[in-house]
Amino acid sequence: MSQISRRQAVALLGALGFGAAAAACAGPGGSTKPGGATGPSAPATGAVTGKVSFAHWRGEDKAVFDELIKRFVAQHDGVEIAQDISTSNDYNAQALQKLRGGSIGDAFATFRGSQFKNFTEAGVYTDLKGSKAVGNYQKGLLSAGQSGDNQLGLPYQVVFPMPMANLDLFDKAGAETSPKNWDAFLGMCEKLAASGVIPISWPGGDVGNGGQLFNCMIANNAPVDDMCAQIEQGKLKCTDDWFLKMLGQYKDLKPFVQPNATGTAVEPAQNLFSQGKAAMLATGSYHLAAVRGLGAKFPIDLVFPNTTSDGNGKYEGAYNATFILGVNSASKNQAAAAAWIDFLSEPENAGYYANQTAQHVSVDKVEYTNPDLKRLSPWLQKKTALAARFQFNNLDVRNAVEASATAVISGTSPEQAAAAAQKIVDERL
Amino acid sequence: MSIHPGTAARRKAPDSHTPDNPAKVRRRSPTRVNPALYLFPLPAVAVVAFFLVMPTLQAFQYAITDWNGFSAAFNYVGVDNFVRAFTKDSLFTNALTNNLKFVLLVVIAQTAFSLVLALLLTKNSRGSILLRALFFFPTILSSVSVAFIWKFIYDPNFGLANSVLRTVGVDGGAYLGNDAQALYWVAVTQVWFHSGQMMVVYIAGLQAIPKELYEAAEMDGASKWQQFKSITWPFVAPATSIVVAYTTVQSFKAFDLILGIAGNPPKAALDILSTRIYSTFANSEFGYAAAQSIIFMAMIALVTWLQRRLLRLTPKGD
Repeated sequence: MSQISRRQAVALLGALGFGAAAAACAGPGGSTKPGGATGPSAPATGAVTGKVSFAHWRGEDKAVFDELIKRFVAQHDGVEIAQDISTSNDYNAQALQKLRGGSIGDAFATFRGSQFKNFTEAGVYTDLKGSKAVGNYQKGLLSAGQSGDNQLGLPYQVVFPMPMANLDLFDKAGAETSPKNWDAFLGMCEKLAASGVIPISWPGGDVGNGGQLFNCMIANNAPVDDMCAQIEQGKLKCTDDWFLKMLGQYKDLKPFVQPNATGTAVEPAQNLFSQGKAAMLATGSYHLAAVRGLGAKFPIDLVFPNTTSDGNGKYEGAYNATFILGVNSASKNQAAAAAWIDFLSEPENAGYYANQTAQHVSVDKVEYTNPDLKRLSPWLQKKTALAARFQFNNLDVRNAVEASATAVISGTSPEQAAAAAQKIVDERL
Repeated sequence: MSIHPGTAARRKAPDSHTPDNPAKVRRRSPTRVNPALYLFPLPAVAVVAFFLVMPTLQAFQYAITDWNGFSAAFNYVGVDNFVRAFTKDSLFTNALTNNLKFVLLVVIAQTAFSLVLALLLTKNSRGSILLRALFFFPTILSSVSVAFIWKFIYDPNFGLANSVLRTVGVDGGAYLGNDAQALYWVAVTQVWFHSGQMMVVYIAGLQAIPKELYEAAEMDGASKWQQFKSITWPFVAPATSIVVAYTTVQSFKAFDLILGIAGNPPKAALDILSTRIYSTFANSEFGYAAAQSIIFMAMIALVTWLQRRLLRLTPKGD
């Protein structure tokens, strides 16, 4: 091998030095916090013109937003709105980095939970407190977008992460849709099974959708409302009796989910339900439009797996307020972005969005004309628990805790599954 | 017009030359390079420095911090991230184990399968060419498409695998839903995806072997196996070297296939190093994810080097 000359060595060191210096310039924490040291401020005011990027993850809502954009543009001359849509997983992983640059996402949406928390810490939000839009929302549904005294985002959608029921199959089996306690719920499943259908279609092979059932199962089992936050903090444990009881109830469900449920992705699970092979789809009301799209013609309602033994549970269901709308503090066109959020928050426009996408909204005085939304509207008045799984800020912890339920359905004992989950939690305390 | 290094210097030389003072003559080596020419590779060096050197150095810099990816504040934590990866993070060690198992499975199966295919399809007959095209076809698909095709095949309810098995009264099980088997099913997909490509490498190697060697071996009474052992295998060693190295790196980085087939984040049974790193980044642990990336890089280098040594595909000192 040839020797390196002194000159070559100097050149190599120079290149490394250049690289190191450049790396240091772009090192961690090198950029400033968009929100500034004083915390979030209200969006800038001004003319509603120019280009606005609206970043979100709901590709299935694109056509509905396109129509709303058309209506918005008709009201404001010289404004353009482009949708920047990523898949939900990519949005979860990459949106923060993209939005901080300010080039996309003048207006944007976030998930409730860890993403909202991270965006808040990164100072991406402006404060919408006192804005015209806030006044249009139901007060009780705004908390998911609050941080301290600031209203950073507006939770736009209200979804019910509870099993959807094919009422025709329930009628045929003579099963009740409002089981008062756990035994009644299992009795209902037995009747459905006896009628020759799969009682529950559960996408156990899909972490995100399979985990929605967890919101119902934990709501009345946990000793406190912030149970998932406390598990993450080490104050509650997966090996506690109440958690083991919940896993035991998952074990009770095993005979009532489709065979090989842990390998079922969400699309096949939807198909089992929409084709009338399964009586319930254990995901949530956010799949209404999808199952209708797959040809489901039957009437649909929601069923809450009531896990109590005496029927005296604190909650009658579970809901989530998500798709939290915000205005980017790094945006150069905050006035137009804020106007777009105001527009979406008007009851007429929110109603259009809700009825077209078959999802309830947090906006007050919305008239639901979609038959499915009409049928499910009574759930808006029930005492429902805010979906617990979004309390987890650490995604590894959330996945581990939810995976314990999947493990039980695949045959692991509740004790073993709980211990495995708690190990991951303990490592991250 | 062409410029030769040192031309200007040589043109000047006669001016300073005087017959009375030969010591003053400045002789330049004909191989001496004009320093200005060092400027020519500068753009390429800048690109390499900016896109390769800098991110790599940055990864080392991030790896010793607890930076979350967006805060202005962070702490230097020394080697804590590396220690955590190996001693306090069972998800990382699980991903590492899965990855090594996956690499081992795929390297053995894919190398063997592609070699067998190549041996069967070496001749340039019409049938062979058609079959080669057929086996090569999956390679031109995107990994996301492959993931979705196989996700459908493995679906226990409507999937192709169970539909076929049910016709003979067998239930194939949950496939990807069975934690003990899931990795093997993904390995099958990976082998199906890339074997055609490796087959082409082997065919090129096989077609370069002189036919006279086989004729001579046959005349000496060598069996087919002896011919393979003594002629084919040594002659395809360079091709094997390429196949093994490429398959190793490919299997370590089967990120898109795993994410497509198992969803994001994949469950623990299908988590490999690249998906674990992605999950750690998504979990806003940039410092720790950078440390994992460096371990990942070192792991690929180590495994590739070990393979080459163990298979004696690289002569000593090479």
